[in-house]
Amino acid sequence: MVSSLYGIDQERKSIWVYLEVEADGLAGVSLELIAKGRQICNQLGWQLAGLLLGHKLGELAAEGFAYGLDEVWLGDDPLLEYFTIEAYSKAAFEALMAAKPSVFLLGATPNGRDLAGRLAVRLRTGLNADCTDLYMNPRDERLVCEVSGFGGGVLALIEMAQHRPQMATVRPGVFSPGELDRKNVGKIIPISLDLTEDVIKTRTVERSIGEGVDLTRVPVLVAGGRGVDGDFNMLGQLAQLLGGEIGATRPPVDEGHIERERQIGQTGVVSSPKVAICCGISGAFHFVVGIEKADIVIAINSDPEAPIFDYADYCIVGDVHQIVPALIEALSAEREVSIG
Amino acid sequence: MAELQIVVCVKVVPKPEEIRVDPETHLLERTNARSEINPPDMNAMEMALSMKDRYGGRISLLSMGPPFFEPNLRVALAMGADHIYLLSDPAFAGADTLATTYTLVQGIRKIGDVDVILCGEESSDGATGQVPPGLAEWLNIPQLTLLTDVSIDQTLRTARGRREIKGGYEILEVPLPCVISVKTACNEPRFMDYRLRSWALEKDRLTVWDAGDLDAEPGHIGLTGSPTIVTGLAEAPYRERRREFLQGSPGEVVQELAGILRKEVEV
Amino acid sequence: MADFEQATDEEVLLIDDELWEQLIELTDGAAALCFQCGVCTAICPWGLVRQKPLSVRTLMRQAQLGLQEKNGSLWLCTTCAQCEAYCPRGVNIVDVFRSLRTVAWENRNPEKGLPSLMWSIFWNDNPWSQPPTQRALWANNLDIPIFNPQEHEVMLYIGCTSSYDQRAQKIASALVHILRGAGVEFGFLGEEEPCCGEAVLSVGHKHYFEEVAAKTAQVFQERGVTQMVTISPHCYDVFRNHYPPFSNGFQPLHYTQYLFNLISEGRLQFMKPLDLQVTFQDPCYLGRINQEYQAPREILKSIPGVELVEMENSAEDALCCGGGGGRMWLETPIGERFSDLRVEQAVQTGADILAAACPFCVACLEDSLKVRKTENFEVRDIAEIAARAL
Repeated sequence: MVSSLYGIDQERKSIWVYLEVEADGLAGVSLELIAKGRQICNQLGWQLAGLLLGHKLGELAAEGFAYGLDEVWLGDDPLLEYFTIEAYSKAAFEALMAAKPSVFLLGATPNGRDLAGRLAVRLRTGLNADCTDLYMNPRDERLVCEVSGFGGGVLALIEMAQHRPQMATVRPGVFSPGELDRKNVGKIIPISLDLTEDVIKTRTVERSIGEGVDLTRVPVLVAGGRGVDGDFNMLGQLAQLLGGEIGATRPPVDEGHIERERQIGQTGVVSSPKVAICCGISGAFHFVVGIEKADIVIAINSDPEAPIFDYADYCIVGDVHQIVPALIEALSAEREVSIG
Repeated sequence: MAELQIVVCVKVVPKPEEIRVDPETHLLERTNARSEINPPDMNAMEMALSMKDRYGGRISLLSMGPPFFEPNLRVALAMGADHIYLLSDPAFAGADTLATTYTLVQGIRKIGDVDVILCGEESSDGATGQVPPGLAEWLNIPQLTLLTDVSIDQTLRTARGRREIKGGYEILEVPLPCVISVKTACNEPRFMDYRLRSWALEKDRLTVWDAGDLDAEPGHIGLTGSPTIVTGLAEAPYRERRREFLQGSPGEVVQELAGILRKEVEV
Repeated sequence: MADFEQATDEEVLLIDDELWEQLIELTDGAAALCFQCGVCTAICPWGLVRQKPLSVRTLMRQAQLGLQEKNGSLWLCTTCAQCEAYCPRGVNIVDVFRSLRTVAWENRNPEKGLPSLMWSIFWNDNPWSQPPTQRALWANNLDIPIFNPQEHEVMLYIGCTSSYDQRAQKIASALVHILRGAGVEFGFLGEEEPCCGEAVLSVGHKHYFEEVAAKTAQVFQERGVTQMVTISPHCYDVFRNHYPPFSNGFQPLHYTQYLFNLISEGRLQFMKPLDLQVTFQDPCYLGRINQEYQAPREILKSIPGVELVEMENSAEDALCCGGGGGRMWLETPIGERFSDLRVEQAVQTGADILAAACPFCVACLEDSLKVRKTENFEVRDIAEIAARAL
């Protein structure tokens, strides 16, 4: 049996969370992992630390503390300004080897997965990917990861006995982020880095944000059919509130209310969102094929006999032109309260 | 210029809806399940084949698994690849990501002089998506993940790819050799070339390597080489739609719906 | 000079001797009979919906000469065989088109979306990317026995679309009720029912079709299937005309033919008057291609209170719904759908119902009817109408 670079006998009783940085702060999944880590650390009396890599990120550490971190291990270097697998994995590896945490959690985002996959092999440890739940077995202080396979049909519980750190990536949205408390402060621990340009093999030729839409993997899909009567502005508002995108059945596309790239179904896009909201869609088979993979389907239609209801989890019989605006109002009201 | 050497990692998986967990032994029951090529690997196949169309070269299919993978690997071969390497040994069974990537890398090393290693984004059975970076790490070479398009410069020996990121894309470039994972559904896999159908069934098209052939260290492979332990297995409740009609006045229905959305989506 | 420029606008086609020989072989020289009169292009329904019609004649010429077709018009053909009905030389034009498609597959030039169709049939045994284990789910509450040649007089072949498409499932259920009403002993193959491969044949993948047909024929042989009734005329056509002979007494019938026989034998009678005017859409694969115009009409006429009215184009001239030839899996732009015209014709008759006898027709016509937003008019399969009259 191959051993990890450090094992259970050398581990420190701490949980590490990789803090993924987005344009407007820490990524949602990182905040969710902080909340989950906090809960486990409180239960066991462990330390909760964040690993923050980038350049000129001081305020983000404070944000991490406000959400419940005890420490932030900070790697600040011009060569970390943009994510490259070589520089990031080197920095993370050095920090992990210095601190030897028992658990290291990352978001199952594209970069989180890349980093986790590299580090697990470099550390010769195990990695539970795309977890749907995590808890600590209090008896032996082992992390238990729930993962799903076979299209979600099978759930497995996975643990690691000797190898450390116990690594896991977790899907965004599995846990809820905690409360922000600006009074919380913590300790920033700088990581000593020895990065040189030649480490980086990946060259970014071009980066473009804000164009093109991929409906196959949006978190929320708000789809409209004939019953929407072309009012895709209304659906767009709902989609925006939910962080999703709009799609359509064939008739509205044909009638020019929405571009063909957004057609869902057999001859369009097969989408697998977390939630699909079908508005004024009767449920023709060639459309339904495009939303079958959604985790949850919500259908709004005035015809209680509409076939779409057979494919939905939550069925609302009513006029989309009344239900959707009321829903937008209800959701934005809630939002104002939580922001206020 | 040497011809481009491409390896595509292919896995044969049971059809997800046909998998059962034995309620008593808690073991996976896959004997009656139909198999298919892991659908994301089909997208990797198509990317490899379009590379071969453009630059020429040779495509080797690499798979780790039991002998029953063979017929489906020959299906992939008939799409236009050149040879199959099946890493098959009872000692490989029970491998997690660490042991799997180690074993595949031993295969890649034995094939030798590989320029590009292509993988699907993830497998439909394990869905870890960790094999591509794991391979790159063992081989100490660069990786490009979740690409939707790729081009190769054989003179400069670089690969340049388009990667979808949150709200946009980036174009990345790395030196060869490298590992590439292909975004699921980014292309339409071509159907088998029926002129290759019987050729692909010939005995010589497939090479089987066992642990000895790969000089694999016993401690690194199979269950022994796997740090993770499966301690529980359960069938997820059948995902039949709830078909629950929300009752009440329009106002109540909207409130209930808003509640469901708040629970399921971060609003 | 101007002429020269115009000529370069056209595609440059190269004569390919090998291709020529291959096409002769694939079609038994069918194209050779063509003397380029152009009636086919004139009669092709694409001319009704497009500025530039599908030039059937040009494609026939290319087939005669062994020219490589470069544009995508080859995939427009719905294989409705309207052209064949008028061809003065009796050319099997549909077969030529399928062969041109075979060549396109070999040149790795199929229409986008069709490779996925092939893979769906390969992995799932149906063209709708649905799990094979769920094929018989629609029949869960119907208690249809698994076919046993000792006990059953006929095997009911459901077909992929009627197995998975909720709308078409209603046709299958209606037929089950009718057969029970007539006291027919029948069974089906349930989850084990294989795909007939019609989609593969109609998009021209000849080699894969041969593989599917051999596999499916073997299942039928093992199960002792001889008398078979299909719901879709497409399945009926491949079983009747394109399958290898696998059993001596094998006799596939479309369900309208079978029901008509039951009526003639006095086993099936409709007691309940319906008081409806009905017009009938001849499915291409029942009518023009298999020359069955009588059976569906006789069923409708035998229902008390049903009055049959004919549309402007009927029987040999029936306008295709647009779903054949693989078009069910390809997108047809708005304004170019035959079914829109067909629904218009049907509404003009003043009938209450547009009756069909094919799941593809029902799907296409119903889609068009939805867009037209016509009240008090519906599309129903004959099986559904007949079940109401039991």
